[in-house]
Amino acid sequence: MEKIKEILNRFDMEYVEDYKPTWVKAKLKNKNDLLDVVKALKEVGVASCSTVSPTDFPEENRMEINYFLEDIENKKNVWLKVDIDRDLEKCEIDSITPVLESADYHELESYSTFGVKFKGHPNLRYFLISADYYGKFPFRKDFDWEEHEKQLIENVNTISDEFFEEYEENEETMGHEDSRTVLHWGPTHPASGPIRLKVYVNGENIEKVEPDIGYVWRALEKLSERKDFIGTIVAVERICFMDNTNPMICYAQAVEEIAGKEITPFAKYMRVILGELGRTVSHLISMGGFFGTMGLQTFLMWCLDVREYFLDVLEDYSGARIATACIEPGGVRYPLNDYKVWFEEINKAIEKWESVKPDIEDIFMKNPLMVTRAKDTGVFTKEDVVDNYLAGPIARASNVKVDVRLDEPYAGYADLEMDYVTCESGDARDRLFIIYKEINQSIDLIKQAMKKIEEGIEAGEMDPKKDHMVKMPRRMPEGEAVSRVEWARGEMLMHLVTMPKSTNPYRLKIKAPSVNHTRILEKLIPGHTLSDIPLLYGSMHICQGDLDR
Amino acid sequence: MSLWEMLFYILVFPGLLFLLAWTFFVFYFARKTLAYIHKRVGPHYNGPAGSLQTVWDVFKLLTKESITPKSADPYLFNIIPIITPLVAALPVILIPWTPLINNGHAILDTEYGVLGLVVLIGVEPFLLFLTGFGSHNKYSFLGGMRILAQMISMEAPFFLAALSPALLFGTMNLYEIMYSNTWLTTLILLPGAIIFIITMLGILEQPPFNIPDAEQEIVYGFYTEYAGTNYTLLKFAEFTEILVVSAAAVTLFFGGYRGVFFDSFWWLFLKIALLAVVMVAIRASNPRLRLDQMLKFTWSWLTPLAILNLVWITFAKLYIVGV
Repeated sequence: MEKIKEILNRFDMEYVEDYKPTWVKAKLKNKNDLLDVVKALKEVGVASCSTVSPTDFPEENRMEINYFLEDIENKKNVWLKVDIDRDLEKCEIDSITPVLESADYHELESYSTFGVKFKGHPNLRYFLISADYYGKFPFRKDFDWEEHEKQLIENVNTISDEFFEEYEENEETMGHEDSRTVLHWGPTHPASGPIRLKVYVNGENIEKVEPDIGYVWRALEKLSERKDFIGTIVAVERICFMDNTNPMICYAQAVEEIAGKEITPFAKYMRVILGELGRTVSHLISMGGFFGTMGLQTFLMWCLDVREYFLDVLEDYSGARIATACIEPGGVRYPLNDYKVWFEEINKAIEKWESVKPDIEDIFMKNPLMVTRAKDTGVFTKEDVVDNYLAGPIARASNVKVDVRLDEPYAGYADLEMDYVTCESGDARDRLFIIYKEINQSIDLIKQAMKKIEEGIEAGEMDPKKDHMVKMPRRMPEGEAVSRVEWARGEMLMHLVTMPKSTNPYRLKIKAPSVNHTRILEKLIPGHTLSDIPLLYGSMHICQGDLDR
Repeated sequence: MSLWEMLFYILVFPGLLFLLAWTFFVFYFARKTLAYIHKRVGPHYNGPAGSLQTVWDVFKLLTKESITPKSADPYLFNIIPIITPLVAALPVILIPWTPLINNGHAILDTEYGVLGLVVLIGVEPFLLFLTGFGSHNKYSFLGGMRILAQMISMEAPFFLAALSPALLFGTMNLYEIMYSNTWLTTLILLPGAIIFIITMLGILEQPPFNIPDAEQEIVYGFYTEYAGTNYTLLKFAEFTEILVVSAAAVTLFFGGYRGVFFDSFWWLFLKIALLAVVMVAIRASNPRLRLDQMLKFTWSWLTPLAILNLVWITFAKLYIVGV
């Protein structure tokens, strides 16, 4: 930490201060120093860029750009801010992509939504947004959404015109040339989901892959600015339907930090239980989907069967199975009137999982054809993980010890016994195994948290009927917070900015891991054959919901 | 053979009606078995235990529009779905189905039964390649290329395995092969039977060799552009081929319609159904192989094993069965 501060102090900084145990927060005075700072930080190990988040301040005529740089292995993170001019012509800054390549897609996203030009970016282009937003920069504060939505017909025409233009261009430039051709893998491909991979193939061999994203872009970050602090949880939980509780925990923590409130121990353990339930539910689909990519649906069906029991638990608590909206700033949404009944339901789901575990191990985890396909396919080394900032299960499959629950404990995780779950080799098969191991870990954590709650109630320290919430102020003070959770697919980071006496977020940046996991496909897939696309793609556990937001 | 007899063979048994009934049955049977393994219910509402579901499905497909894409070759695209089921149904006349017809012989009782069978089964994939070629679609074409690669490599061990009973019994007449089969020879032929069943999965494009129509990779392979009637005809050809190849396996290796206590068509049917259960079980528990892995498997393992099997058969013929 001291070393990082020393480096930062070498440059012209407005302030350098500690923020949480693992972060250093600093503001750069001169934007021209940025590249030098980043280079110097890279030398001491801060080699991954988590995300780039611009915040627009039209009154002060400035655009504040936040860089979240992380040292994955030593858990030392830097939150670097820098101000630039807001006018479209002058709104530019050096791109850090040549130094930290994990910033690539995040910079493209900032360019498309805020109009920040990144000088020196290898391929600066509009990304994520649809054609009707080109050049309008929809996340800027002065962008008129209502006006834009009134011109529905023109917008649709713009999108379809762009499509036909590209189609004609493809017809001319991408025809068959000896055995080379271009395949559009998605967005209506049976295994793709709403994403398109432009696959340049020579026969069956893949030469190049270009992901094209944005098919489910809902502008959730902007949407949350229109809602109040409670209403935002509904936008936040829709990042991805599979693991729906953890994003709400992340958001709630950021709001609590700004309000300066501490939640009760009961709510903390409830968050652990709900978060791990969400993770289990999501991992069950990921695990089944992995086999689905190789044409075997049986496992997916079995996993969905188990998943139903876990969804029953969520339904019992919140009334909804998928979009639960059960965690809000200040604690968890509902009290537990009869905690024993709910715990009984959880135990039923755990028993169901334990009962299918032997079959899963024998039939699927040791399946010789799966091993033939997935072993030694698509290997990530530690360097790949750091350079491209692969998060969560993908990093742990390559034996990189990273887990926000341990690195920066939140909710009740500090009091629970857990350790990093890792695999050795980092190939596609390990990315399946890690998911399986993590489900077992989650279930262990749920059991521990249930025990803590039971003990707390018996000792009279917790009251499940009253302790679920602390009172939150209706209007938030001015502030800024960064909150991280370990989501099912990796680190989720939220950067929340509020104005004085505000009732709604001023800016909410959501960083989700699938962005980097999609970017790595450009490097991962070439060199394999066509049959490996679904396998490798499935092994990254990408969800388009959090890819596009 | 009288005219009425011939019409009966063509239209009722073992011709059109029988094949249609088989298609409905095997479609339903596979769905229901697969559903059981998946822990689902499967077809449920139409007919007793959902048995009419497949019939409705077929009629629904027939009422749909048969679209010919603009870029496809209209003649090739539309003529192949008519030829394919005909070719798929041809081997039916070579197989002895039941003791009631033709004194238990096949309708066309020939000295070259095995040869005719493997040739007619082997022609089918080339027609399916033409469907992919005529569609003029990237995915269809890739599917067509894959089916060619798969067939060329699968047919060598397939032929060699099919030859093993002919070599053991010294005849290619299927009726004679069937009646020469005893419990002992069934055991001797077992390695050949296993190779035959593995290659059968490849030739019928069943998992783990469903590479030519791998949904997650190349959409639907050579089927991609087909809809409505044409698609129904192609699917009909596929199920007919499943019947023919399974019946060939049973006749060559497991004594055809001969059974315990009495000989009947139902023994043949039971054996085919057991084979179908094996196929569905493999399908429900194994992911798909990659094209290059399949090629490596057939050429460096299956084909040498099939040749070794012939050596074993020759040995058994000389020293176990006795000439």
